[in-house]
Amino acid sequence: MAEESILTDDFLRELINVGEVDILIGVPTYNDAATVGQVVQAVRAGLVEYFPRERAVIVNVDGGSRDATRDLVRAASISDLQRVSDLHALRTLHSISARYAGDPAPGTALHAILTAADLLRAHACAVISPSSANIQPEWINQLLRPVCRENADLVTPVYCRNKFDGLLVRNLLYPMTRALYGRRLREPHPAEFAFSGRLGNHLLAQDIWSQEIGQIGAETYLVIQAVTGGFRLAQSFLGPKLRIDQAAADLVKALRQSVGVLFWALQQHPLASATNGESQPIPTNGPEHQVSVEPVRVNRKRLYQGFTHGVAELEPVLSSILSARTLAELRRAATLAEDDFRYSDELWASTVYEFAASYHKAVISRDHIVQALAPLYRGRAYTFLVENRDAKGEEVEANVEALCQTFERLRPHLLEVWDGGK
Amino acid sequence: MWERFVSELSKAMQEIAGSVGQFLPRLMVMLIIVVLGWIIAWVAKAILRSVLRLAKFDRLSEHTGATQLLNKVALPSSSELLSRLVFWVAWIGFILIGVNVLGIVGLQEHVTRLLGFLPRVFVALFILFVGLLATSFFSRAALLAAVNADLPSPRLISSTVRTLLIVCTVSMSFEELGLAEHTILVAFAIVFGALMFGLALAFGMGGRDLARHFLERRFRHEEQEKEQEDELSPL
Amino acid sequence: MVLASPQDTLWYKDAIIYQVHVRAFYDSNGDGIGDFLGLSQKLDYLQQLGVTALWLMPIFPSPMRDDGYDIADYYSVHPAYGNLDDFKAFLAAAHQRDIRVIIEMVLNHTSNQHPWFQESRGSRDNPRRNWYVWSETDTRYRGARIIFLDTELSNWAWDPVSKEYYWHRFFSHQPDLNYDNPAVREEIWKVMKFWLEMGVDGFRLDAVPYLVEREATNCENLPETHAILKEFRARIDKEFPGRMLLAEANQWPADLRQYFGDGDEFHMAFHFPLMPRMFMGLKLEDRKPITEILQQTPAIPESCQWCLFLRNHDELTLEMVTDAERDYMYDEYAKDKGMRLNLGIRRRLAPLLDNDRRRIELMNGMLLSLPGTPIIYYGDEIGMGDNINLGDRNGVRTPMQWNGGWNGGFSAADPETLYSPLLLNPVYGFQAVNALSQARFDHSLLSWMKHIIKVRKSTPVFGRGSIEFLYPANHRVLAYMRQLGKETVLVVNNVSSSAQAVELDLRRYKGNILIEMFGRNIFPRIGDLPYLLTMGPYQFYWFRLRRV
Repeated sequence: MAEESILTDDFLRELINVGEVDILIGVPTYNDAATVGQVVQAVRAGLVEYFPRERAVIVNVDGGSRDATRDLVRAASISDLQRVSDLHALRTLHSISARYAGDPAPGTALHAILTAADLLRAHACAVISPSSANIQPEWINQLLRPVCRENADLVTPVYCRNKFDGLLVRNLLYPMTRALYGRRLREPHPAEFAFSGRLGNHLLAQDIWSQEIGQIGAETYLVIQAVTGGFRLAQSFLGPKLRIDQAAADLVKALRQSVGVLFWALQQHPLASATNGESQPIPTNGPEHQVSVEPVRVNRKRLYQGFTHGVAELEPVLSSILSARTLAELRRAATLAEDDFRYSDELWASTVYEFAASYHKAVISRDHIVQALAPLYRGRAYTFLVENRDAKGEEVEANVEALCQTFERLRPHLLEVWDGGK
Repeated sequence: MWERFVSELSKAMQEIAGSVGQFLPRLMVMLIIVVLGWIIAWVAKAILRSVLRLAKFDRLSEHTGATQLLNKVALPSSSELLSRLVFWVAWIGFILIGVNVLGIVGLQEHVTRLLGFLPRVFVALFILFVGLLATSFFSRAALLAAVNADLPSPRLISSTVRTLLIVCTVSMSFEELGLAEHTILVAFAIVFGALMFGLALAFGMGGRDLARHFLERRFRHEEQEKEQEDELSPL
Repeated sequence: MVLASPQDTLWYKDAIIYQVHVRAFYDSNGDGIGDFLGLSQKLDYLQQLGVTALWLMPIFPSPMRDDGYDIADYYSVHPAYGNLDDFKAFLAAAHQRDIRVIIEMVLNHTSNQHPWFQESRGSRDNPRRNWYVWSETDTRYRGARIIFLDTELSNWAWDPVSKEYYWHRFFSHQPDLNYDNPAVREEIWKVMKFWLEMGVDGFRLDAVPYLVEREATNCENLPETHAILKEFRARIDKEFPGRMLLAEANQWPADLRQYFGDGDEFHMAFHFPLMPRMFMGLKLEDRKPITEILQQTPAIPESCQWCLFLRNHDELTLEMVTDAERDYMYDEYAKDKGMRLNLGIRRRLAPLLDNDRRRIELMNGMLLSLPGTPIIYYGDEIGMGDNINLGDRNGVRTPMQWNGGWNGGFSAADPETLYSPLLLNPVYGFQAVNALSQARFDHSLLSWMKHIIKVRKSTPVFGRGSIEFLYPANHRVLAYMRQLGKETVLVVNNVSSSAQAVELDLRRYKGNILIEMFGRNIFPRIGDLPYLLTMGPYQFYWFRLRRV
């Protein structure tokens, strides 16, 4: 079967030695030696402290790291081979590391983790990002307890984030998922999350793995599947989210992984059935959101320039995507001076919805549609930064809430442009 | 003398009548073939049109951008185009068979030559078509990549890509047709070579900074230019 | 008749010990209590089982407030069991069948009914006053823990007669002897000599860590205690070579090591910490608890030996495990709080293992193949059950079930007069579980036990060989090599409830073929590749390695 080829023989052998487990923690890596050691130690400590009686395994799926990533992971196992163990654990804790077939891609890694979880019949699974160097053992409890003890199917994290961090999530992913799927899921593209074996198998059975979406955006797709498939959702507050410096670079990649998947997933479910009422909150362990306001260095000018530059240069592309009215407004906004420029909530929501509709109709290559969103996002990010420059946490949240309301209010506009013309 | 003229004339008339008499049935056959061919071609077109509609061919062509391209040159939709093409191909085929039947020797030769030439025309048209599709895709891809990577003059880059690809496509079509092969080939080689040479020079000398900047962004993951980058992560 | 020949001084290394309660085994005179004559009559049964040594629970006269561990007279036997002649006859009959006899010797304390204590408490000037540990206050020796937590609140008890406190590490009716007093030591030696001269082959010395108390210590395992024990051992070696001393010391392996001295203290000691971990490993389906404790077990002198056991007359003690482990054991093995006692679980082997034949076989297989001398608790060879509603630890001390008839064949007396009620429930009652019916069938647990004991005795490797653990990647498989000279035996145990595949790294033994020891069938030769074995739930293999 095609899915078995994702497991190399060595990986399979290691899985045989592990046997059936109750909990499987997947850590997808690619050259993460700098942080993976701490992460795996924290995971191990969390398992020993909060789930001492459960059979657990840490599975590292690696895309071909050339550094010490895999050795660091293996060192975290607790077995009877060690003479001196500082951690007194009831059970053997396997910590295996294997290379998955194919090119390094987060979706392929998730596929490998799901396959392993299915083979080992894990009741509860979690995926932990190897770059979350500030992870605490409590995170394991926060993520897994709702699955293990309270029958949740998906647990997404809630972080204490800097007000200017994760703008794509705050300005697009969260409002749009909330408006279209009716659930207030704060992190639709989570770096760490937990899910039940039931949900994992459901996703494994989907026919996405050979397509591009299976390789780049499977996490978001998992989340959307959980929401639309009627699975039990939960959120857990974890702590501060570590800002990763180099992630700022590739906006297009981030868009593909999150927004691209979101747009693609809209095809799977008839839009008419999208919720019409107000969005529902999700049961959350801990606070539903926290915003930290420590100052960060931000190059606002560059964002603004990116926007104006993009609108000017991509005129032919944008004209195929957006409606004439939206495009005209954007052009007008781009001509404003930097201090006067403002990408309003309504305009942004309309932009996003029209992009989604164009994606659905595939007016041009879909990947190009996603790429074309990048400069417009920059403009929106600029506006968000300006509006919340001096804002406290509650104010930022209020602004985000207002944006969400706008998205919800403009839903009919999406339905209008979806099948109809521009 | 008059009788000789008359008898020659009547002999000639008889010959003509004989030839005409020989020719007319063939002409009749040819006409029948042509009419029959038209009917068959029309049926084929109708069948193909239904098949394509069932297979949602139009959707597919819209997705690849073919429809847009056709619209730009005021051609009908792809399935319609394809059906009509099939119709014409079938009918012309029958006509040519009919002409063959006529038995006019010189005409036959020309017809054969024409028949031999037709496939190449179709292939050349096909190359042109595909090439134009690819051109629009790649030029747009280049435009988006340039804008998102903050390169200067994205439109210029996009146009360059478009021009190159068009030139390439046209050259390939002409080569397929066999028209002025060598001329086109050499012209293309010169243009392309010059462009590449110029780029090489640019990268090596004048465009040093740009090249370095470009390469650094592409190949060195660890080092970021902290002075210009902001610290934010979108996700 | 004394059974000890010079070359047999290490007989205890090859022994199969059977722990039996005289009272519970067989009643010959119809008074409802088992006795020596009865025990003599059952020696054939024991010989057929393959037993080579008997360990008798306390046989001394006693008010029986602690099942005989409260001794009232060291020089006699309890009248309910018979008299000294009966005992001597029994001893002779046992020796005739090549069965050695080990008896209890409680050194640490006596019953408060013992004449010594009666004298000692008589007045403060009595010559035997110092034979026990008296104090005006109850604040001395604060470092000592209380052992019987469920019944005692203090290690000191107030004596209204002599108006002082006396020291007792166990029940308050068991005052501790004062081993700082040379007279006490001399008298105890005389006691031991009395029995050794009669022909007894060894003593199980009860509660040895607690002999001596000192301020600002936990009063366990003190150097003074060891010195006293070494002295006893020296005297025994001189006058009675070949007799054996077995220590009952519920301590961590590192502390247990001291009891072997340099081969000049005890011959054997119970490996208490291993036993709960065997049960834990079975429930966790993970070999880690077992391998870890054996890794931490120190090497002992060549002439010494560990005593292994699965269950005994006491509760399954959970003193030598961590709190998390204890909670796990309680939750898994003793859900009913009535089963818990004094930091332990008072259940027999079969009920602990849910009467699962496969698990019972596996546990016995490990018992008989791990390094040490195995002790089988009476009744466990037929899978007897327990009755937790009988107070204290009496639930595991019910009459031996011989057949399905009158009183289970234990006694001809009226059922109401038996020293303890019989088990009657349909699963474990004497009609379902008894020696007679099991002896008739090859597939019974009893027949299986006979067979495995025979296999064990077929090679000295198990009793005397070294042990080396293999650590296959599959943590549900416990595998080890036993080696003695040129003989090598491979033992592989699947401690999980599901089928397992395991690859063993046997490259060092390349070229050997494996011969499975029960059926004596040949298994493939060891090559360069890892040796693959597939095992059913709770299955185990014993392989003899042979190079042809």
